[in-house]
Amino acid sequence: MASVFTLPKPLHHLFSLFPLHTYPPVPTTLKANAVTSPTLWVHPPRNTEEPDLLSSDVECLKWQAYIALRGLSGITLRWDISPDGAIEGRLPNLHAPLPGSEDGGGQLLPAASIADWVDGQVGELGPLEGYVDEAAKDESRAWVSLLEGNVHAALVLFHPKPVTLLSVIAPFQPVAPTIESMLSPPPPPLTGLSSILPAYGSRVDRTIVLERYKEAISSLSERLGTDRWFLGSSVPTALDALLFAYLHCLLHCKDNALRFEVTRRVNLVAWERRVQSDVRAAFRHTKAQ
Amino acid sequence: MGDSELRTPPLKPPLHSTAAPRDQEPDDKDLEKLRKWHEERMARKLRGEYETAVFHLSELVNDNLGSTARIASIRVEGATHTRKSFLGSLINPYLGSAADKPHTLESVLHTTRAVGHILQETDIFQSLGAKLEASRDAFAQPGDVDVVFKAKEKGRYYLSTSTEVGNNEGGASATCRVRNAFGGAESFEANLAFATKTRVSYNASLSAPLTRTLGTRGEISLFGLERDNSFYASHTEGVRGLKAVVRTGTLRSGLAEVGYEAVLRHLSKLTPSASISMREAAGQSIKSSVFLNWTRDTRDDRIIGTRGSYLKLIQEFAGLGGDASFSKTEAHGQLSRPLFPHVTVSLAAKGGLLWPVGDRPVPFPDRFQLGGPISVRSFRANGLGPRDGPDSLGGNIYWAAGLSFISDLPRKPHWPVKLHGFLNAGRLDAIDKSKPVQDSIIANLKQPSISAGVGLVYKLDPVRVEVNFGVPLVASAGDGTRKGIQVGIGLDFL
Repeated sequence: MASVFTLPKPLHHLFSLFPLHTYPPVPTTLKANAVTSPTLWVHPPRNTEEPDLLSSDVECLKWQAYIALRGLSGITLRWDISPDGAIEGRLPNLHAPLPGSEDGGGQLLPAASIADWVDGQVGELGPLEGYVDEAAKDESRAWVSLLEGNVHAALVLFHPKPVTLLSVIAPFQPVAPTIESMLSPPPPPLTGLSSILPAYGSRVDRTIVLERYKEAISSLSERLGTDRWFLGSSVPTALDALLFAYLHCLLHCKDNALRFEVTRRVNLVAWERRVQSDVRAAFRHTKAQ
Repeated sequence: MGDSELRTPPLKPPLHSTAAPRDQEPDDKDLEKLRKWHEERMARKLRGEYETAVFHLSELVNDNLGSTARIASIRVEGATHTRKSFLGSLINPYLGSAADKPHTLESVLHTTRAVGHILQETDIFQSLGAKLEASRDAFAQPGDVDVVFKAKEKGRYYLSTSTEVGNNEGGASATCRVRNAFGGAESFEANLAFATKTRVSYNASLSAPLTRTLGTRGEISLFGLERDNSFYASHTEGVRGLKAVVRTGTLRSGLAEVGYEAVLRHLSKLTPSASISMREAAGQSIKSSVFLNWTRDTRDDRIIGTRGSYLKLIQEFAGLGGDASFSKTEAHGQLSRPLFPHVTVSLAAKGGLLWPVGDRPVPFPDRFQLGGPISVRSFRANGLGPRDGPDSLGGNIYWAAGLSFISDLPRKPHWPVKLHGFLNAGRLDAIDKSKPVQDSIIANLKQPSISAGVGLVYKLDPVRVEVNFGVPLVASAGDGTRKGIQVGIGLDFL
């Protein structure tokens, strides 16, 4: 929007004379290094001493698996960046070099734009998105909903982040999506319908969440069978990346009930192990830049 | 004996003529002048009587300075909210030392003055009067006296709210103060403020005297703030901290502060255009540091000083736990002198070195920033030094100097508005640890950004407001310059 006040011409001319002398920019060692290869910013792996290159966060792992299963390799991983530094405060972000950029700053992409970037690198998958037919594509949406709903809710409810003294007294708490948003139908509030108090909290029935989770894992196991990829696809799809991320997190879950449900299904464990090595091979870790 | 007959004295109505000719009593017709003349004469008379009384008293006291007198006890009346043990700790040293001295009225008066002085120093009494009474003690010797202080305590509770607008920032604040909180001259203060840039800030502090001379005070404070730094570094900063300080001395002779600070900083809410460097710096960092400050201020006015000097030395060591480990040294100085009648020259300089200890870089919130209307003028606030895109990354080494000429307005020397001309220079750099420090310092001294301009300075107690028209004469590429009018509100200007 043009300013209401414009600078008079003589003043504009006067200002254009200054500064009378300009030095080169102030050199700095504090500036971020130029990005030379695509770098995925993720939450750190479980064990940062001997990193296994797989993020402990299911959301980051989904995108790690997606990139790897689409056939990209040589992707650098960084986990020294706080989620506060990510776009909209949410990891993962992809920091990719920008062709023709002189300063080496590159472009930073949020998770939602990673699929488009991958398409740009390896070509699009076509209208079927890698599934065998239209019906499988439609079916995949139901499985995505099941994984991101029932399985995710169980993972959040039964495998909460460890509570430490620091995490309790820390004044700056990270904002996490609430469990209410993952359950369908949403759980009732802690206050009753006839309560005069305003509605607060949520009454989550852990038994129902666990039952739904068990059903979901059972269905997943049956549907996968001995297929190479889920839904009988010939190439890995986004659903395979999602499934791998959840299975990997469930297999490393400290809650026995959740973990046993997966470990007792041999096909799921074997499938996760096979995909795991593919995903890991696509990444390399860089020290803090 | 008709002459000796008793008569009523003649009536003397107000303002009747009573003057001898030399008194130059005004004419009866001008009543206003007459009334004034009477009032002045009455005041003269009273003053005369008072002076006479004081003279007689001092004569009486002086004649008896050598007479025997001994303080049997010192009583403070009216100090209802003050602990006896605290008053005892202040007064007892004077009673104890009395044994070594001659017991004369002179020593009693000196002790009384000293005790009165120390009681005034506590800043908890509104008024304090002393008198000597014969001792009440049943075993009192002749000449024993009690010193009685009639005290009236100041109000204990103070609550104020205010709103402020200025420097592109508007805000409201509330302050609560409790004086003499636990009866030992402790002071508790809580402050909560909301503003546009510093969105919220709070501070709660408790200070108490640590020595019986009251010259050293200790203070513990909890503080927190949310500051919008998006105008120079694309983020919002949250700070929560704890500080413990011991202060001794006065500003005139040198005020020393030693303290410890533990502070948690959180850089978040990055703008979409934030640079990668800023994104790397985002998140939480903890600083645990000890610091030593020394300040001496002999200027005749803190805001627009015409003579005197100001020197502040700051030393901080961080690394007792936490993420930050560095050594930070800073010095600020200012010298003011009258140059000609109505013209003052002020030379200010400051510099700092921030040396990282270990391999980790110094966290963003601890780095120096330079530039702005109260720093190097005609540059944007924090607009100098290393940059990445829209963000000022701060630096480890800086210097800045300013020469200001401040003059009274022609024919209006009493106005708080003064004319101002300035020449500023400074540079902020990041140290390259692979090179010797001397090289970094020399490189920093070279290639300064320089600006000059003229304007008006307004002394708006307790702050100084400047409106300047200036231009950057020399700049580094990437410096945020501000050509034309710039408004500054603050306390410590360059």
